Amino acid sequence: MSEDAARKLVEKYRWQFSGMLAWGVQRVTGLLLLLYLLLHVRTVHKLSEGPAAFDQAMAFFRHPVFKLLEIALLGTVILHALNGVRITLIDLGVGHQRHRQLFWIFALGAGALIFLAGAIPIFLASVLKVGT
Amino acid sequence: MTWPVVEWYLQRITGALLVILLAAHFWVEHFMSEPLRRGELTYEVIRERIANPYWQAIDIAFLLVALYHGLSGLRNILLDYGRLGRRGARAATAALALVGMVWAYWGVEAFRNLR
Repeated sequence: MSEDAARKLVEKYRWQFSGMLAWGVQRVTGLLLLLYLLLHVRTVHKLSEGPAAFDQAMAFFRHPVFKLLEIALLGTVILHALNGVRITLIDLGVGHQRHRQLFWIFALGAGALIFLAGAIPIFLASVLKVGT
Repeated sequence: MTWPVVEWYLQRITGALLVILLAAHFWVEHFMSEPLRRGELTYEVIRERIANPYWQAIDIAFLLVALYHGLSGLRNILLDYGRLGRRGARAATAALALVGMVWAYWGVEAFRNLR
């Protein structure tokens, strides 16, 4: 195999790898979020049973373990949302030459920043209980 | 436009809506007031907000859009590669639509005693 052909193969493989990974990430995070939505409605429905029932349910979720899960949920949402925006942009023909870079820089880079902006306050206030 | 194309558009339009609605939801339930910033979401906090009919409309619309987007996405996964066949696809669609309606009703009904 010539060097040129080898380079082309690597390029092609990389292209498929990012695309496939993003595709898989979108499916897995999507399924997790749907599962969460169904459970979330179950909790919210406690509102109809009055203040005592709802506040009791919420007190259960105030445990630091659930706060950490909440932070994980935020990360899952951001990953799915930004990767979804990326997919939509590619569908619209924006940046389809650069979708690999878009995935890594936009979905992971910007996503990480937004994630930290939301996760740090929750972690400080609800897990470490700073200021209470 | 054929139906699959409409679905394809709907998935992207609802997705874009959800980015906005979810960012707002996250702000509203986690950061909007002092008790929320401490992670204390209570019945009273929700009752005050939901007393406003616009918030009710936004929350219900949010639930419906999210359920549609999520269940439609699950349907895409189930029907991918035509693996369920024609009748299987129809059965899966009907089942997911039913799940969606039951869950939508369940969610909306949560506001029943909140006024």
